[in-house]
Amino acid sequence: MDSTENSGNGNGQNKYGGEKLKSELLTVNMGPQHPATHGVLRVEIKTDSEVVAEAIPHIGYLHRCFEKHCENIDYRGNLPFCDRMDYLAAMHMELGYCLAVEKMIGTEIPRRAEYIRVMISELQRIASHLLFTGVYAIDLGAFTPFLYCFDQREKILRLFEEISGARLLYNYIWIGGVWNDITDSQLSRIKEFCEGILVELDKYMDLVGQNKIFVERTANIGVMTPEMCYNYGATGPVLRGSGVDWDLRKKRPYSIYEELDFDVPVGEGLKGTVGDCWDRFAVRQQEMRESVKIIKQCLDGIEEGPIMGKVPKVLKLPKGEIYMRTECARGELGYHIVSDGGKVPYRVKAKSSCFTHTSMLGEAAPGLLIADFVAVIGSIDIVLGEVDR
Amino acid sequence: MHKEIADYLNGVVSGANAKALEAEAGDSSVLVASEHILKVCQALKDSEDHQYNVLQTISGVDYPEGVGEDKTPVIEVNYMIASFIKNTEIILKVRVPRGDDENLPKVESVCSVWKSADWQERECYDLLGVEFVNHPDHRRILNPYDWKGHPLRKDYKAQEVYQGMTVYPEDKQNIPEQDFVVEQNRLNDEAKAAAKKAREEAKKDN
Repeated sequence: MDSTENSGNGNGQNKYGGEKLKSELLTVNMGPQHPATHGVLRVEIKTDSEVVAEAIPHIGYLHRCFEKHCENIDYRGNLPFCDRMDYLAAMHMELGYCLAVEKMIGTEIPRRAEYIRVMISELQRIASHLLFTGVYAIDLGAFTPFLYCFDQREKILRLFEEISGARLLYNYIWIGGVWNDITDSQLSRIKEFCEGILVELDKYMDLVGQNKIFVERTANIGVMTPEMCYNYGATGPVLRGSGVDWDLRKKRPYSIYEELDFDVPVGEGLKGTVGDCWDRFAVRQQEMRESVKIIKQCLDGIEEGPIMGKVPKVLKLPKGEIYMRTECARGELGYHIVSDGGKVPYRVKAKSSCFTHTSMLGEAAPGLLIADFVAVIGSIDIVLGEVDR
Repeated sequence: MHKEIADYLNGVVSGANAKALEAEAGDSSVLVASEHILKVCQALKDSEDHQYNVLQTISGVDYPEGVGEDKTPVIEVNYMIASFIKNTEIILKVRVPRGDDENLPKVESVCSVWKSADWQERECYDLLGVEFVNHPDHRRILNPYDWKGHPLRKDYKAQEVYQGMTVYPEDKQNIPEQDFVVEQNRLNDEAKAAAKKAREEAKKDN
């Protein structure tokens, strides 16, 4: 052995010298069973000490062959399968599918059903964003907000259970209308909820949004520029969080959204840069307020009448194809339905926003601390059921 | 609108052979030659009038018996492209010969135009077996990396054994409803016949 190597006095080199230490990247598997990934997502992270150098998402652990199932079951029978994609906002999944089929057969939906649909899907948006608020706080180490949020979300789920019979997977919005009528007492309960939730939302903003630790953990973290969002096809709160005023309910209105008055909140970078995690959080908080606004208008405008339009008993779509997009809680959901004129769809393709957003993780991650990467995953609010379908 | 885009594409990309397909029900679309898809997409993104800045999804459809009059088996790849600036959207189609497992159909990748194409093309490859040439990361995405076959093809049959496990074992298969009724009727008939026989034998003994 060279004696100078060990002595430490030669050119500042000893056996622990920089040249001998290994500096390879360390591969860490995050998931598929990891509480911070909101389901069975596996991210292969190459770490340089605490810093993420590269992140490769691996998906498919919850693939349930939705599209293949659809090719074997008739149009009505496919509805419950749609529910199971995004199980936290199942009403939105149904609504998109029904709108696509209805547009093909040209059914007119009764006014009362339209009001119920909009009201229900806005309630669903609130429920979904409430869950996001609570779970995001847990990701960042705060447990209490979760309980507050679930307390409120429970009220919505109880209501949904009453009108549809299920808490999560409803099969409530049907082709042609809705399954069950809503009673006056339920309407007044919704009204009561709308009053209460506004106070609660203020509380969450003070408790979570303005919290010093929360702001430090989210502001300036995971910045997504509008160019990046366009390039990856991001939609929903992720796109709006980056300061882009894009909401399908305004830009390409469906159902009765045209007649309703509401604003589209966008990220303003109040605590840091536009498009950081805090902006995406704040946009969702604002969206809940807008949803309350919409629900209140629906409560005032709802009309008496039938809840199901005329739909043929044996449902056959004319030959052709359609691509229908709707604004869901997590972004735009698109259904591409191809019909060969039969009772069963020839092909159903669901464009999932979560799938798109997961693909952005690879570009958003490099340079972040591992703990901050968890904050980014939480902020895009993915549901793996929708990613894998 | 589709006619205009087809004309525009024919003018910009020579050999694009763009054709507007006007549909009676549902959405219309534009069909282009598959060899020129990359140039067509780049032209749509770059044009001042259209500015298609977002690729929303790629949806493949398998037609083993051909489309319409044409009976050659094809796979159709649909590009759902939208402009978030002009608020427009369009379905862009290419059709490629169906091929088989050894000889997958080939389409040029559009990853260099929109990054969202990366995962969407991987999904299309995984489920329909369309190979995207010049794709930076050409792997399966939803199915396991060592899976065989492409499930959304109409003639797909799942492999029998995967990593030593039987795929879709017989005792886990659902009996089709009709078979179930036939089976129930057969069992009922058998039970009735047995009861009748027993009665007759009892009579004989008496």
